Amino acid sequence: MSAQAEPLRLALLGNPNCGKTALFNQLTGSRQKVANYAGVTVERKEGRLVSPSGRSYALLDLPGAYSLNPASLDEAVTRDLCRGFYPGEAAPDVLVCVVDATNLRLHLRFVLEVRQMGKPMIVALNMSDAAARRGIAIDRAGLERELGVPVVETVAVRRNGARALLELIDRVAANPHPPAVQLPADADLHAETRRLLGATVSMPARTAKIDDALDRWLLHPFFGLATLAVVMFLIFQAVYAWATPVMDLIDAGTAALGEWVGSRMAEGPLASLLVDGIIAGLGGVIVFLPQILVLFAFILALEESGYLPRAAFLLDRMMAGAGLSGRSFIPLLSSFACAIPGIMATRSIQDPRDRLATILVAPLMTCSARLPVYALLIGAFIPSREVWGGFNLQGLVLFGLYMAGILSALAVSWVMKKWRRDKGEHPLMLELPSYRLPNPRDLLIGLWERALIFLKRVGGIIFALTVLLWVLLTFPAAPPDATLPAIDYSLAGRIGHALTAVFAPLGFNWQICIALIPGLAAREVAVSSLATVYALSAADDEAAAQALSPVISDGWSLATGLALLVWFIYAPQCIATWAAIKRETGSWKTMAMAAGYLFALAYLASMLTYQVAVRLGAG
Amino acid sequence: MTLDLPIGLQYAIVAAVVLVALWIFVRKQLPGPLRKARIALATPLVRDGRPAWMRALARRIAPPSNGGTGGSACGGCDNSSQCGPEPKKH
Repeated sequence: MSAQAEPLRLALLGNPNCGKTALFNQLTGSRQKVANYAGVTVERKEGRLVSPSGRSYALLDLPGAYSLNPASLDEAVTRDLCRGFYPGEAAPDVLVCVVDATNLRLHLRFVLEVRQMGKPMIVALNMSDAAARRGIAIDRAGLERELGVPVVETVAVRRNGARALLELIDRVAANPHPPAVQLPADADLHAETRRLLGATVSMPARTAKIDDALDRWLLHPFFGLATLAVVMFLIFQAVYAWATPVMDLIDAGTAALGEWVGSRMAEGPLASLLVDGIIAGLGGVIVFLPQILVLFAFILALEESGYLPRAAFLLDRMMAGAGLSGRSFIPLLSSFACAIPGIMATRSIQDPRDRLATILVAPLMTCSARLPVYALLIGAFIPSREVWGGFNLQGLVLFGLYMAGILSALAVSWVMKKWRRDKGEHPLMLELPSYRLPNPRDLLIGLWERALIFLKRVGGIIFALTVLLWVLLTFPAAPPDATLPAIDYSLAGRIGHALTAVFAPLGFNWQICIALIPGLAAREVAVSSLATVYALSAADDEAAAQALSPVISDGWSLATGLALLVWFIYAPQCIATWAAIKRETGSWKTMAMAAGYLFALAYLASMLTYQVAVRLGAG
Repeated sequence: MTLDLPIGLQYAIVAAVVLVALWIFVRKQLPGPLRKARIALATPLVRDGRPAWMRALARRIAPPSNGGTGGSACGGCDNSSQCGPEPKKH
């Protein structure tokens, strides 16, 4: 049997935010994340594609780079991979240099730099439809002649928008040859770019009128910030207003399923595992899926629209004052989904000092895993009523919790800035993309991905920890002469009671103490753990099937509820985040420092909240 | 109708579910130690002179290699240990 021939290796490269990942998804049928801002791809991704001729290719999607003289880690990955210096990676056979056809002034310089490598290459004029709409006329044949490499128009977000590219790839793969034109090594690439633009491109105006009109308001020092605050505020209102009906349905469905299974099975360990463990635990978490999807629908729409880099620009001064840079904005924003991609996204920050500060404060951004915990506690302790002329109080509290995380991150980075010797600031250089209407297909794919990630976690780590916790809460069984509830004799019950000595100043009871431990693996597990603990403590099946929210609102004081909410603003992040910090910084010390300061902050802030609330009569 | 399984069978099912949960937990939270353990288990089984069935078993036990396509996007935070390029050695 002969070994199968290795497929030809193609690499997509180009400036950040030129649509490489959208093109990668289009060509490979993959579903990598795309957004309308720079720095979404910070590592290389690989996919397979089969061209219309039936030929198979391996396609690499490389991180965006402004130059092959790298200024950041992700640019270094692109350079090393293209030159074949990346450990364990063969150099690509053909380079597909993707350029934004609406922004050739910036992108053509990079094409010239790539061309100097002398490798077979293709130039893909992406977003050619947007360029045509703005009246930018590109002489494709002329550009091809001047560059000495094949040039093709693509629309990465349209079905079949890359068909011409595929056909061209086949032609180039059949006869790969280096670029026909080369400049001397010391040539002025900026001057050559200007010459190429003059010869092959006619520009009607530097930016579209609509962009200018919107930017006059959205980048205004006062109205811009006010708009940003209003947008964020409305998002959190919508999370409560729109998700509640679906949440109620899921809640009722879970309770009915628990009762039905309980009534169909004789009492025993299997019924307890199913009803008190799996259904109560997982049902308690899955109910928050609608809120997560509403939140991400807004975040994805803002990402796609091109508004987020404007928000980074608006916040740059504030962030610089706190010791961060505007470049920290995208990693911190990514951390609202999960701190791990946020920490990885810091690779696009050139300055090591800014990068470390961003890594250390990224866990303070409210990741989506905290949302179920917040939603449970807010639902239990904050009344659902309208305040200030129609605003939902629960939505306001959720907004406040998110803001508390952001302000805490600014405060922590400000303290770090005070401690370090180098107090210099680095100017923000950011490409502001054109505004565009979010593509419904990308939005739906993004939401589908978020839902799958959440459901995979429910069926994976959350299921596993719920079952293991049920074991710890069930065994050893109570002795025959037991006077206390059976759960008090279990291993987890004993651990919970022992931990109350540490957490009593915070008002945490033993049930909460138990839930905090599996919450270190994934924060949502704190909710499923509480659901399992209370289901196992219930006097009968009907009580066990009751929703968790009323159980804790009856059993805990308001002070305890508030203290736990504050705990989760700072809670020492999940173990996977610790691993990401260790990997990105290469330092156990930094990881220990991050875990330590977050634990100290969480403990002190919760204790303060509890003690103040008790003195105000909420205990 | 009520499902009333013998208590022994109930405990057997519960034990199986708990083992699956334990496997998921170790795979997600402790990938490094799991990989080392799989290599340590597989290595003695592929030494010279071992029968074919033992070598086949070792191939099943051994973890997949780190090479190949790899580098897929981060699918949330529970597979973080696999995402991102390997730290540079130079």
